[in-house]
Amino acid sequence: MTMLNPDFAEELKQFSEDSALACFNCGTCAAICPLIDSHFPRSMIRYVQIGAKERILEAATELWKCLHCGLCTQTCPREANPGEIILGLKRLVLDHWRKS
Amino acid sequence: MYHPRDIIETIAGNLRATRNPFGIPHFMVNRWWGRSKLPRQGDALLFTGLMYQFIPYIEKSTGYLSRYEDTPLSRYVGYTRYVPSYLSGLGLAMITPRREKQKMNGILNNIVRVLNASRVDFYYRPELDHYSGILLYDLGDRDTFVTHARWLADRLKKAGVRKLITVDPHTTYALKELFPKYTGSRFEVHPYFEMIQLKGGNNGRRTVALHDPCFYGRYLGLSDVPAKALAELGIDCAELERSGAYTHCCGGPAESVSPRLADDVGRRRLAQLEGTGAPIVAMCPICLGNLRKLGADVRDLSSVLVETLS
Ligand code: SF4
Ligand code: SF4
Repeated sequence: MTMLNPDFAEELKQFSEDSALACFNCGTCAAICPLIDSHFPRSMIRYVQIGAKERILEAATELWKCLHCGLCTQTCPREANPGEIILGLKRLVLDHWRKS
Repeated sequence: MYHPRDIIETIAGNLRATRNPFGIPHFMVNRWWGRSKLPRQGDALLFTGLMYQFIPYIEKSTGYLSRYEDTPLSRYVGYTRYVPSYLSGLGLAMITPRREKQKMNGILNNIVRVLNASRVDFYYRPELDHYSGILLYDLGDRDTFVTHARWLADRLKKAGVRKLITVDPHTTYALKELFPKYTGSRFEVHPYFEMIQLKGGNNGRRTVALHDPCFYGRYLGLSDVPAKALAELGIDCAELERSGAYTHCCGGPAESVSPRLADDVGRRRLAQLEGTGAPIVAMCPICLGNLRKLGADVRDLSSVLVETLS
């Protein structure tokens, strides 16, 4: 799979694990996440894959519901490290807020 | 839910100003050691990271936060606008009950008793015992965390510290995994239950429901160590549907942005623990605080260990 927005991929590397492309959208992480929000964190990983920075910023506060409990990372069959990607997105969004 | 930015900037500002997330002077937060005659030199520094000491303040401040969460007022009364007077600094220190602070201090004194009974060579120097900054790392403020962590690592190194005994999973993770990565400083880090050697227990065999915190169970892979220590004392851990690497979060980490979410997740974990019918035991101050807030009778691991000493 290739990223639709290579600039965003580069930007994200400063803040996050570079593992989103390993995700094949199986939904295991969303099924096990204690937040029981239908698509979290998979939806965010998907936004990263397609470089949808605006969508991430629109839903940014949702990222802080993540408990950083690591269960998604533990169970991801592709080692896409979803928990650490969410943490990286928090860093990216905070940086964006601080600069704006 | 509160706006994460308000929460992060408040905590980061407090950490920069006072080296702790609540903006309370160090000497007021860290008083547990006052009556214990602890050596100032030895093999390993006991490093509490102040997490147990913070629990009464967290309980008090989240009590206020949950009153306003998702009310029309929360939109107008931004966290930062009312925190400085109520929920931060001396104001918070004054309204936090002494009784609760003493309970948490009691846990730290129990840990000291357990270490002494195991003949562990340790020392304590309150001026070196500081908050690790972990909450800001979890909230995504890596820059403030790294600045603080470098300050702390430098202080420990200058004091000649090489080996640390920790008492909670968050501080253990920060010192063991994050400090080498972000400060370049590496210390030998052991949670206290790795150091203890207790045998016996004279109450016959019994069972407890030991809640594995995410950082011990998953990130650090340590949950079998306290379970073995308990087994040596005749205390078995009940089979839990979710434990070890697959443990279920207590919900506590959500507390600063959404006390309601912390309660929802905590209630689900509590149902699993209560389902065993055994007394519930926690080994993390955040888990202890969050599960107790839901009305559960939860004991800290240290108090279970200490009652086997006689
Ligand atoms: S579990 Fe892993 S592979 Fe499956 S959707 Fe989540 S991140 Fe993608
Ligand atoms: S780390 Fe965050 S996204 Fe992953 S399972 Fe835990 S709460 Fe859900």
